[in-house]
Formats: sequence, C-alpha cells, structure tokens
Amino acid sequence: MKLGFSEAEEAFRAECAAWLQAQMTGEFADIRGIHTLTDMPERRKEWEQHLGKHGWGCIGWPRQWGGRDATLAEQVIFAEEYARSGAPGRINHIGIELAGPTILAFGTEEQKQRFLPDIAAGKTIFCQGFSEPNAGSDLASVRTKGRLESGEWVVNGQKIWTSLAHISDWIFVVARTEEGSKGPKGLTFLMMPLDQDGIEVRGIRQINGDAEFNETFFTDARCPADSLIGNIGDGWKIAMGLLAFERGVSTLGQQMGFRNELDAIIAAAKDNGAANDPLIRQRIAKAEIGLRLMRYGALRMLSNSDHSKIDGAALTYKIQWASWRRDLGELAMDVLGQAGEIAGGSAYEWGMLPNLFLFSRSDTIYGGTNQIQRNLIAERGLGMPREPRGDL
Amino acid sequence: MMDFTLNEEQLMFAETARQLFADMSGPDQWLEQMESGAARIEARWNAIAENGLGLLLLPEASGGMGLGELDFALIAEQAGYAALPDPLVESAGVAAPLLAAIDPEHPLLADPSVSIAIQHPQNPLVADADVAGGIILHRDGEAWLAAPDQVTLTPRESIDPFRRLFAVAWDTASATRLGQADWDLALDRGALFSAAQGLGLAQRAVDMAVDYAKDRQQFGKPIGTYQAVKHHLATAQVAIEFARPVVQAAAAELAHGDVQSRARVSHAKLVALEAADNAARISIQVHGAMGYSWEVDVHLFLKRALALTNSWGTPYFHRQRVAQRIFTQPTGPDQTFAREIEHA
Repeated sequence: MKLGFSEAEEAFRAECAAWLQAQMTGEFADIRGIHTLTDMPERRKEWEQHLGKHGWGCIGWPRQWGGRDATLAEQVIFAEEYARSGAPGRINHIGIELAGPTILAFGTEEQKQRFLPDIAAGKTIFCQGFSEPNAGSDLASVRTKGRLESGEWVVNGQKIWTSLAHISDWIFVVARTEEGSKGPKGLTFLMMPLDQDGIEVRGIRQINGDAEFNETFFTDARCPADSLIGNIGDGWKIAMGLLAFERGVSTLGQQMGFRNELDAIIAAAKDNGAANDPLIRQRIAKAEIGLRLMRYGALRMLSNSDHSKIDGAALTYKIQWASWRRDLGELAMDVLGQAGEIAGGSAYEWGMLPNLFLFSRSDTIYGGTNQIQRNLIAERGLGMPREPRGDL
Repeated sequence: MMDFTLNEEQLMFAETARQLFADMSGPDQWLEQMESGAARIEARWNAIAENGLGLLLLPEASGGMGLGELDFALIAEQAGYAALPDPLVESAGVAAPLLAAIDPEHPLLADPSVSIAIQHPQNPLVADADVAGGIILHRDGEAWLAAPDQVTLTPRESIDPFRRLFAVAWDTASATRLGQADWDLALDRGALFSAAQGLGLAQRAVDMAVDYAKDRQQFGKPIGTYQAVKHHLATAQVAIEFARPVVQAAAAELAHGDVQSRARVSHAKLVALEAADNAARISIQVHGAMGYSWEVDVHLFLKRALALTNSWGTPYFHRQRVAQRIFTQPTGPDQTFAREIEHA
C-alpha cells in the first residue's frame, strides 16, 4: 500500500499551481473567486480559450486531440490546483468531461476531427439535453422526437434543466427516433447546433436567484444526418456511457473546492464566535472527518491501476459528496447566523457561503437524486432485486 | 392534567385566519408581490384588520380582546402555513402588546390597520419598519417610539424574499421615550410565535410535497409510491406532530415568565423550527429539480424557516435557556416534570 503522490506527480502539481496562480493574479484576476456558473460569461469564454491555448483545457484527453494524455492522478492534481487557485468553475465542463469523452469513445474519425479540436481549444461550448419535464429520474421516458427527413434530422420536443444552454454553442440530445418505442429502446444521440430558428432557450431562475438552468424547446430544429453518435437506436447505450464519465474522474478533483468552502466556514466561525458553540465545533469536526474520508476514498480509487474498477467505487461517491456538501451548506448558515441571511447589496446576490447553502440543495438532486443513487448502489452494487418501476 | 383541547372560540379564530390566508396569500399573490416588489397587498392587510386578527392579544383597555398567547399562536401557525408576507405576527403578537403594557391608550393602538415594528436586542434588524405606523426602539433597557420618517432606514436584502429588513439609525432627539419595557416578555412572545409559524411552515412544506408526490409520475407510477419518497415525508410529519403540543404548552404557560416557562418557549422554538427546516428541505428533495427552481414556491418555506430560526434568539441562545433550567433547578424523582406535577 502506498498513499499519496509520487515525486513526479508532485512536480506536476507545482507546475500546475505556478501556471494557474500566474493567471489568477495576472490577466484573469478579474474572474478569480466567482462562485456561480453564470457571472461574466464572455470573460469566461476567453478563459476557456486561454486554457486551451496553453494546453490546460482537457489534459486527460489524448495529445492528438489537444490533451496531454494525463494520468488519472495528474487530472485530479490539476483539478485540485485549479480550485486552490480560485479559478472559476469551468463553463465548458460538459464539453470537456462529457461530450468530448463520448465522441472519443463512440464517435467516427470524421466526428472527432469536427468537434474535438474546438472543444479542446475552448471555442465550442456544449450543453446536455437529457432531462425532460417528464423524464427526470426516469430518464428513459424521453419524448423529444427526431426523424430523418431529406438528409437531416428534424427534432421536436422539450428538454429542461439544460445548464448554460444560453451561452452554449452545441447541445447533445437524446431523442426518440423510433415511432412508438418505449423506454431505453428507439433512442438516438444527436449533436445539434443551438444557434438556429428551431431552438428556443428560456432561463429558469433557481432558489439562489441565479439562472444557470434553461428550458430548451425544439420546433423542427435541424442537424445534418451524420450528427448522430453511434447508430440509430443506440442513444441509451451512448447516454449511459456518458453518465459513467460523469461518475468518474471529473468528480474526484472537487475536493479542493470543498476544502475552500470548509476553510471559509472555519474562518467565519472563529471570526464571529460561533466556534465557541460546542455543537458547531462538533459539526465542523465532523465535516473535516467527512472531507478526509472522501480524500482517502479518492486516493484509494487512484491507486487502483485497473481503472475499470473505478466505476464501481464511484457508484457510492456521488451520494457521499452530495450529502456531505449539503450538510456543509447547513453548517455554513448555522455558523453565520443572521448575517448569512442578508445579501451583500440590494440585489438577490449571495456570497460564497449562503450560496453554498442554497446551491447545495441541488447537489442531492442533479445527476441522479440520492434516492436513485441508493437504488443504484443496492441494485447494481449489491445485486439486490429491482424495485418494481412501472411496466418497463 | 393539562388539557390540550382547543375551545370553540380558538378554533373559530384559527379557521377565520386559515380561510382568509388561503384566499389571499397563495401562489398567485406571492408571485404578484414578488414581481411588483410592493411592501404589502393592501386588500389583504385591510381584510386582516377588519377580521380583528390583530386584536386578540391586545388588552380590552386598548380596544383589544384580551385573549392569551395560545389564541394568537393558532393565528401565527396559519400565517406560517400561508407564508404570509405581512407583519401581522410581529406587530400584533409582540409590538402592540408591549406598547399597550406601557400605555394602553396610545393612539397607535386605536387603528388595527396600522402596523407597529419592533427592534429587539436579539434582532439587530427591524422587519417592515418602512410601512409601520411607529417603530418601537430599544436603548439601555428602555423603549422609545419613532415614526419611520424620524429615523434612517437602510434596506437589507433578506434571503426570505418577503422579509423586508432594515437597519435603523436613530437618536433620542427625534424619538419619544416610552420608558421601561418588558423585553424578556417580548422575546418570549417573538420566539413562541416564530415557533407557531414554524408548525405552519412545516405542514405546508409537507402538504406541497405530498400533493406533488401523488401527481408526479416517474417509471410509470406516482413517485409517492416509492418508499424512498414516502418515508421522507412520514419522517417530516412525525416531527410536526411532536412539536405541536410543545408549542401549545409553551403558549399556555408563557405568562409565568419564570425559568420553567422560558425553557418551554425555547424548547418550542427549537423543535418547531427544526421541524419546519427539515420539512422544507425534504419537500425540496421530493420536488426534485422543480424544488430547486424559484417558481415552485417550496423555497419560500425553507427561507422563512431559516429567517425565523435566527430571529428572536438563535438556536444556541435557546439551547442555553433549556440548559439553564436543567442546571439551576433541583433534580430528583420528585422534581421530574415539575410543572406538570404541580398542576396535576
């Protein structure tokens, strides 16, 4: 057993840290510390392109496509240093972590050439068209329809909770392309340009006052016939492959961001005297333990040279971090007391910790609710009988 | 024995409040008020005044009904259930009775449609100060009174979209001295009625989630079919049922003003607002992403619960008051549940 990182990995860490620090105190100091995904979108598009230009946009990708062939450990190190530097959340997270790897795994050579260089360069921002008003936890019940018509896909329907659709260039859509099909059968995975008459994007305001989400309406929206990933009817397989990426590496680097949040809470508790309340002290200690628990869990996953085994461990990771962070948000408000309930200015805009409280209500919902996660752990992980779910 | 049954009159007032708020403080009105940014909906505030909901706690000498805290707690619970934006609870439940105790014939008490705001050492900010007929201010244990235009009000944006808070800067030259006031009683009433609102908030959050879970279908069935969902809501309801008698007992004995009754008020505030906070959090989870969106209203209950949790004494403050009873009162088998034995 060997814990921690190698010398070479630590050298890589120093390199990441130095570069990020230089950007966040220099040319991009103005976007440092932004804690929403919506503020200053134009500057953040420039930041994505700057990352791409210097080879930091998608280090886990193959060199051929603009990455660095970085190991899992290196990807985690970069994500940690990224958060430590105060750099803002990646607005092209979906492109880098989900769309890109999906195209790499399932796309044609031509599709790789068409999409990957621009995603890597930060020039193409992607969003995800999975959920629909009636297809949330039950994702397979999507109703958005696609049909081939004179060499084009024509798409009609509605997606919802499409994060950042309003600043994105492309959307990947799971559409029902076989008339009368049900559930996971008859679905196709399509890549569609957002800038067209047939697509309308409307913002959804969230409980923190921000509007990161959207409703996305498709009315005879179009894309070329070769815009599908995989084959017609493969949509579910592709979508599930993509979600496995979501549960993988991309979640492991978050811990530095969590560390920043917990540190801010500890500082606030010392500052306002909440640290004298024994219950608060206990909860801060518990939060610290929970964070280190996740840290060792991640290190264990990383130390396993067989990366195919990571998905099994990652099955338990989402509910762990989501519940931990939601508790952290509640702790933040209890530490801040009345001060946490007052916005900085007259607008409904929140500092890091109140925003953590409000935003983290969604952590246990998006990407599979805690309830769905428990079903997955019990049914896929433990092999328990499936709960009856309709007639599918 | 204690008697937890409510009399006809109490039930009648609670029903009047329930009906009025159901008609005039629902999703349509919340949306209207959030969009307009108006301090209050005049028709609703006038209806509250006309129905005498503000008069329950006022002594008869001030034109009130001279009823007790339990009577008003039932109104406060309904206000919580409706996420009532108007300052009924603080004005009629705390500020007006405090003023009446000092000066029963004060002109501000004559018109029930005039609200009174109150500053308290436990609450650095004052709610609804701008629309109040007068603001009761605190300095060195004494109460002072000023009109909104006699002080400097700085709006502070609250996490609860309907909680209109102000920092108040003032000097004694432009305020009227009222004299010594019972700030402890004001705190107990503020805490008790926050607890009562918490019961209403909690029940509404559960009711909304139950309705949604019956309606929302996933995997071909209403999501309420799944135990992962229904057990959450059952847990929330259990907390409400256990908090309610605590709130009622605290209300019935608040007037004692001793270490026992204060601990009971604190107990009530802790458990009722924990129930509200928990119910609102569960309700958001059951609503899924809809619960995280602004338009679905569940967040109003989470935010009101949070605001009330930290008003009229923080949880830390109230836990300390419970501890104070434990560590200052005699212990032993003959002292167990002392107040109940005394009243048996």
